[in-house]
Amino acid sequence: MVRRLVVSLVGVVVVVFGLLIGNVVAGNVPSLGLDLQGGASVTLQPEGTYDAKALDVALTIIRSRVDSIGVSEPEIIRQGDTVVVNLPGVEDQQRALDIIGRQGQLLLRPVLQAGTVNTGADTTLPGATTVVDSTLPAASGPGSSRRVSATTVPPTSSPTTIAATADSAPSLAEILANQDANDPNATVVLLGKNGDVYSAGPAGASGLVFSNDASAEINNGTWSVVVGLLKGSAGEDIWNALSTRCFNKDETCPTGQIAIVLDGEVISAPVVQQAVFTGGTVQISGSFTEAEARDLAKILEFGAVPVKFSVATVQTVSPTLGKDSLRAAVISGLVGVLLVMLFFFFYYRLLTIVVISGLAISGSLLWSVISYLSKTNGLALTLSGVAGIVVSIGVTVDSYVVFFERLKDELVSGKTMRGAAQRSFTSAWRTILAADTVSFIGAIILWQLTVGSVRGFAFFLGLSTLIDVFVAYLFTRPAILLLARSKFMAGRNVLGVVVPKEVTI
Amino acid sequence: MSGGIGRLYRGETTFNFFGRRWWGFGISIALMVITVLSLFTRGLNLGMDFEGGVAWEVPAQSLTIEDAQAVLDANGVSSADAKIQVLEGSDGSRIRIQVGAESEAVTTAVQSALAEKASVQTDDVSVALVSSSWGRSITEKAVRALLVFFFVVSLYISWRFEWKMAISAIAAMAHDVLISVGVYSVLGLSVTPATVIAFLTILGFSLYDTIVVFDKVHDNTKRFSASRVSYGDITNVSMNQVLMRSINTSLAAVLPVLSLLILGSWILGAVALQEFALALLVGMLLGAYSSIYIATPLLGILKTRETKFKPMANELHLGAEMERIASSGKKTNRVISGDAGNAESVTREAATVAAALSHPPRPRKKQRR
Repeated sequence: MVRRLVVSLVGVVVVVFGLLIGNVVAGNVPSLGLDLQGGASVTLQPEGTYDAKALDVALTIIRSRVDSIGVSEPEIIRQGDTVVVNLPGVEDQQRALDIIGRQGQLLLRPVLQAGTVNTGADTTLPGATTVVDSTLPAASGPGSSRRVSATTVPPTSSPTTIAATADSAPSLAEILANQDANDPNATVVLLGKNGDVYSAGPAGASGLVFSNDASAEINNGTWSVVVGLLKGSAGEDIWNALSTRCFNKDETCPTGQIAIVLDGEVISAPVVQQAVFTGGTVQISGSFTEAEARDLAKILEFGAVPVKFSVATVQTVSPTLGKDSLRAAVISGLVGVLLVMLFFFFYYRLLTIVVISGLAISGSLLWSVISYLSKTNGLALTLSGVAGIVVSIGVTVDSYVVFFERLKDELVSGKTMRGAAQRSFTSAWRTILAADTVSFIGAIILWQLTVGSVRGFAFFLGLSTLIDVFVAYLFTRPAILLLARSKFMAGRNVLGVVVPKEVTI
Repeated sequence: MSGGIGRLYRGETTFNFFGRRWWGFGISIALMVITVLSLFTRGLNLGMDFEGGVAWEVPAQSLTIEDAQAVLDANGVSSADAKIQVLEGSDGSRIRIQVGAESEAVTTAVQSALAEKASVQTDDVSVALVSSSWGRSITEKAVRALLVFFFVVSLYISWRFEWKMAISAIAAMAHDVLISVGVYSVLGLSVTPATVIAFLTILGFSLYDTIVVFDKVHDNTKRFSASRVSYGDITNVSMNQVLMRSINTSLAAVLPVLSLLILGSWILGAVALQEFALALLVGMLLGAYSSIYIATPLLGILKTRETKFKPMANELHLGAEMERIASSGKKTNRVISGDAGNAESVTREAATVAAALSHPPRPRKKQRR
């Protein structure tokens, strides 16, 4: 028993401080939100014809797209006729700009030929040598088409030619330069990922045929993407006309593949597995990695932006509040913690040591998680986030209060410190778990169903709740139980009750 | 430690919370009426993040942020609520000033004043109407999420405890948020996204507090199930037992917030913290209050109607009697009904004697059906 407690206590301390040191060494620091640190401001100018309603829809789509990057809290506003997207932090700015910067024109083109770019002077001959590997395991379920995984060759910088049908083939670079890849009515040559090259016909459909509910799913260990089709002539009819052509491999779609093209880049080119899709959904499966499947789902979901945008300006923005506010929040937060500790010391005496170490553990863990996510997911702390963390001190401390109050009751009723500690933890743990479960349910629901800063709030609520449960069981419990067994506590006034001296083994 | 504080410390207080339930309800109903009236007459002061507004962009060769603030103030626009940012781009730096909705006259006046200050042409200062950054769809999503949250949480509480506790807890939460919103409406404070987050924090805090009290009530209901103790007594005993916890937790939560408010926003001058801290302070006090004066008495009223507790509906044991129930789980025959009597008049000595004379509880045999 003692052994397990010591292992748990030491384990937690080692793991938590290991994570902290790891993050510090890796240079991960929490990045701050727009109000505290500023960030990048992208102004998007709508092109062509559009109305106010379409602009609103576009705004929603952009917001979802930007939100899906992580838990940062972007600011998206309409300023006059332009859309201004302010992104906090600097770490992930480029990726965010990439996503926003795309015009979001999603076209579905029948593939005429597919091949890869070779490093050698003689390039592959799509059509003649098919590098398309269509011997993948059968796709899962009916209604699915399969993604074709092409043999991957690193893309090259040396001049290459694509030998189409003509002998005097112009270079690939020339073809790419001389065409408008976004013209839906033209036959174009497009690059895919991993050096794939496609020759694709006029677009049979656009991203508008999809409803906004694409998702990445995992079946039998393989990732696939499922996307819904709009009903009738807006979606299904257009899609089915294209899929029938490709399924029959007629001359407009000899390869049977449909290229999903976003702003001139082929994201995926699945082979059509059935002529008519009746279920209202399309499933795309194959050798996706999880990230690929999620990216594709995101693109299909938000691909149908009804307004074309161009990036008018990219600027950096200064913080709206600045360092003074942050300094004030941090100083007053620290003073607040100090006050709480003073109060505790007056009230719970020696046990405050456990509270202080517990808060240090929770704090380090929180810092590590925030730093890590700042680096990887573009999380950014806003002033309300900082203040929320200050507030969460109160909630975290509550677990100790519940525990210690039970402990006091047990001691007052004449139990030994040892027995009291064990019993009071058992009952306090039930209370803590019930209360934390409710908070956690709230956090998950808010996270799933909301956007923007409410989502950020839900994230921190859930995180601090989890940390609370974790610390209460793995740190506070062994710490108090071990203290209760030690000779140190015997004969001392702990909670207004003098702990009876007992024989310790 | 002796006297009242000592008793509080040892959890031996005998406040008659349940008997004075109508005080709590009365005060809360009055506050809610004021809130609703104020919402209808004064409404809420929604900031630019909700309502949209106007933005000016000025080339900033010589203009500073302080200059911009001075221009706003001179034209009767509050610079404290304005968002002022410096934009750095390929075409030099610009200052962007965003405020809530203003009349066209003010907009133009500010535009020319800014141009003058920055020594550029009036046309070089761009003016644009700005939409809200917190759009209607965000609000809708948040409200929908909140409803789902209420529903799932009541399912959980019903499963873990019972449905009457779910109703009481949700009622207390709604009470807290409504009155917090009322404070904003009455005082005319401007509502920002941070305020909404503060309200959500309050909600979580209030719910957490209530669950801790209910857990104790739940325990005691099981403990007293054989001794025909009225539900009013159970709630009274439970609340007195968790009183110290409630006070401690609330203090621990309120101290940092007070520090944010007094030190952060008043002494160090971070105005942005003020509204957030104020919303939190009001909400936390309300949360602590409502778990004791709203949620638990409401539960008491709901439960007293059950056949099991109906016979003892009017029984309330006060003072030493309550203490006896708390320590032994049994009641004596002396019954003080209603809210007569005063807990404070019973001395501690009497309680000790009563406890010393009583038999220790016999281990219960299996209950016959």
